[in-house]
Amino acid sequence: MKMKSVYKVPGGKLIKIFLEYNLPMKTIKSIIIAGDFFAYPEESIQQLEQLLQGKPLDEKKLETMIKDFVKDNQVEFIGVSPTSITDAIMRCK
Amino acid sequence: MMTEEWRLLQTGFLSAAENMAIDRAVLVAHSKGYVPPTVRLYGWNPAAISIGYFQQLTEEVDLTACDEERIDYVRRITGGGAVFHEDEVTYSFVIQEQHPQISKNILESYKTICQAIMNGLDFLGVKSRYAPINDILVNNKKISGNAQTRKQKTVLQHGTILTDVDVDKMFRLLKVPNEKIKGKMIANVKERVTSLTHELGSDFSFEDVSNALKKGFEETFDVTFTDGMLTDEEKKLATSFQKSTFGSKKWNHQR
Repeated sequence: MKMKSVYKVPGGKLIKIFLEYNLPMKTIKSIIIAGDFFAYPEESIQQLEQLLQGKPLDEKKLETMIKDFVKDNQVEFIGVSPTSITDAIMRCK
Repeated sequence: MMTEEWRLLQTGFLSAAENMAIDRAVLVAHSKGYVPPTVRLYGWNPAAISIGYFQQLTEEVDLTACDEERIDYVRRITGGGAVFHEDEVTYSFVIQEQHPQISKNILESYKTICQAIMNGLDFLGVKSRYAPINDILVNNKKISGNAQTRKQKTVLQHGTILTDVDVDKMFRLLKVPNEKIKGKMIANVKERVTSLTHELGSDFSFEDVSNALKKGFEETFDVTFTDGMLTDEEKKLATSFQKSTFGSKKWNHQR
């Protein structure tokens, strides 16, 4: 099932999520995290998208996963955060 | 201490793919130490839309309208939003991350580099202020947008200074999330965006703006500029990036 969300981060940038949902498994089949934000290094977003493949669509788990990813890979976001990306993902419909 | 000598490139008006390929070529050349820190001033011919690295092309840009109006489009290596480049002076600035005047902190370095643009605007008699994250405002209206990347231990920041703006045309080319509120959005953008023509009248040239920006960088970083050309190595790199990346469907349509 294809889902989408457009979420303006308060005081930040716009996130657009394109998500394919695996309904029977309740997991993310594939995801694109798009928008007008900044992330350093840029390649980290693609790595994050790959990491989220097959993971359950669960707010707490996703937020922890994204936070850990940012920390482990020394990613710097400008205009978005692990929490706001999680929010954007959970808003998909 | 001796004043540092940096390079000024004036490459005129080029296509979107050429422009983005040259910015990247200068980044690579400077990261290897082949060329000094470089400010490049340029324009776009044909007019073009650039989208941020993380954006989806067809989500942001009406490609049919672009074809009809002969507008180019390209994905940048920098994040940020979609920009319609027509009546503007565009700059790019390339400098190694370890340069003492460049902060390790990305937001700080945005501010420093935007200060050079603001000092440039000062020389034109236009008072502006920095609006984090990446905008410069005149009378609370946006006149300049900026975007930075860091690769190979090198900073590339590029941005625009609007000399004039056609918001209606821009909205024919860009897609909006909700067609129903398009009219409102256009009115809103018209209120929130300004240009040098709006602030100064039309009595200035592209060269006036270029010169002012050059002086802005000189003053901010306490350097002098030597007029330069792209080296043969940079030209080769640019041609290669144009073919492999910025001129390719794969790059522009990715994501």
